[in-house]
Amino acid sequence: MRLDGVWLRYHRHGPWVLRQVDATIGPGEVAVVLGRNGAGKSTLLQLAAGVLRPSRGRVVDRPATVGWVPERFPADQPFTVGDYLAAMGRVAGLPGAAADRAVREWVERLGLTRFSDVRLPQLSKGTAQKVGLAQALLRPPGLLVLDEPWEGLDAAARELVPEMIGEVLAGGGAVLVSDHRGETVRLPGARRWSVTDGTLTEEASSGGSAVAVVELAVPAAGLAAAVARLRADGHQILRVREPAVPPAAGSPAPAPAAGPGVEAPDESPAPGRSGAPGTEPDGGWPALAGGSVAEPDGGSPALACASAVESDGGSPGLPGASLAEVDGGAPDVPGPPGVEGGAGSPEAGAGRAGVASEVGR
Amino acid sequence: MIALVRLRLAGFVRTGRALAPVLTGLLALGVLYGGGGAGRPAEVYGVSAVLIFPVLAWQTKILLDVEPDVQRRLARVVVGPARERAAGLLAALVAGLAVVLVALAMPWPLGAVSLAGGPAGRPALVGVALGVWAHLLALPAAVALGALASRPITRSAGYGAAVLAVGVVGVVVCGLSDSVVPWLVPPVMATARAVTAPVTPGAGLLLTGWAALWVAVALAGYAWGRRTRA
Repeated sequence: MRLDGVWLRYHRHGPWVLRQVDATIGPGEVAVVLGRNGAGKSTLLQLAAGVLRPSRGRVVDRPATVGWVPERFPADQPFTVGDYLAAMGRVAGLPGAAADRAVREWVERLGLTRFSDVRLPQLSKGTAQKVGLAQALLRPPGLLVLDEPWEGLDAAARELVPEMIGEVLAGGGAVLVSDHRGETVRLPGARRWSVTDGTLTEEASSGGSAVAVVELAVPAAGLAAAVARLRADGHQILRVREPAVPPAAGSPAPAPAAGPGVEAPDESPAPGRSGAPGTEPDGGWPALAGGSVAEPDGGSPALACASAVESDGGSPGLPGASLAEVDGGAPDVPGPPGVEGGAGSPEAGAGRAGVASEVGR
Repeated sequence: MIALVRLRLAGFVRTGRALAPVLTGLLALGVLYGGGGAGRPAEVYGVSAVLIFPVLAWQTKILLDVEPDVQRRLARVVVGPARERAAGLLAALVAGLAVVLVALAMPWPLGAVSLAGGPAGRPALVGVALGVWAHLLALPAAVALGALASRPITRSAGYGAAVLAVGVVGVVVCGLSDSVVPWLVPPVMATARAVTAPVTPGAGLLLTGWAALWVAVALAGYAWGRRTRA
């Protein structure tokens, strides 16, 4: 598929959201679309999927079957999960039996079996997102467009997303995916498209230098200093979790997060951005100070507050930090070191902070 | 596309939002037919066609609006923009046809129809056929007006209601016999007047062509508007 000199604006006299976008993606290729909030990532994805029509330019050679997973699944519909997916399978052109078979397969794979008779408005955000994933894959797509697919998913389903992407690629399809949570480290060999101020540039590969994700806990009171040291060592901060109550004496890990059930406002800036702790202008710090993390099955439950840090070599070497979890499953992610998400405030409070980092291997 | 039509009709019925226009239509027809008198079929049905025109347009707007915007875009990705648009209009036509059938059947049990001969000795059956024709001319025009008032085009509830109200009032006002711009609106009023008198084939063809042309122009506007409004 090719985007050929594509421009887009939503209103006739409105500002250009995308300008002179030229891009090509072929069968078996995956591209990660990166950029700040409001940069035009979702717009680009919707253009590629065929939701939007370019104001200028054209999109050519779009595969006949396109699967689109919107950022927010429209759960305000009077159907059960099973009925909705079966209907979408038929809308996609699958005969009745084939649609039912495809629905059974994806309902099972995504752990939706017990929700099959539940009405869509009653689903949690993550479960609704799984329904969104399922509807896009009922018919094997030639182009799969995923807009923040990891948003709200549990750990098992997050692992499943790269697997599904791999299956589409193996079937000769192409995949476009946006992500601001750093989950695309799970996509080895992905091209990186960066959207900045309405223009698209492809970031050069870093040559396949391997990175890994390390989650570790640090005293919350010393979080700002720890983050500063990590950055100074060239690590990349991806995320910060809320501090919790102090751990029991001698325990290497702190107590579980204090604020259950609420998703932290996880606003990661564009990659490659630099900045000192405590200078986040767009929501990095509030996630640390006032948010809470609802990830009962993701990461280490012992983490009260965590930041993800990426490195292109070396080790964090933080005094007083305890290693909570090492995720070695992040292979060969290209990308420049730099701050992706950040935090740091002297008011971090008592307790220990969890820090997840990516280090070179 | 048929699967998408079924999905949209199911969504329309299950949300319960179909009740408001249906109840309004039944109420209006009840007032029309409950007066105790009995009229000739063509006259009764002519008035009925005018009366249910706003109901059909309102119902179409509700049917097209009831689906969340993102779901409509999902359908657009799956079946393509032209089929997605057509499926919405077809679903509205099917839903409208159900209302038309109710409107055609309702006067009989209420004794509002007299089988006495029509003008110039016209048989009652011909009067019934003309009444059906009047409804079938009103239905596509109402669907087209409802589509123009739907959220994908108007983008807000206020503008949508305004388009609907102006359209319905326009059909009545511009359709009056002394109107200077009758061609601006579909011939709903003109048809209601025509069926009370002997209808020549030429007049019938003219009214049918007028209605078809108006619907074609309105739907072309809808398609053009939807190009950039997913």
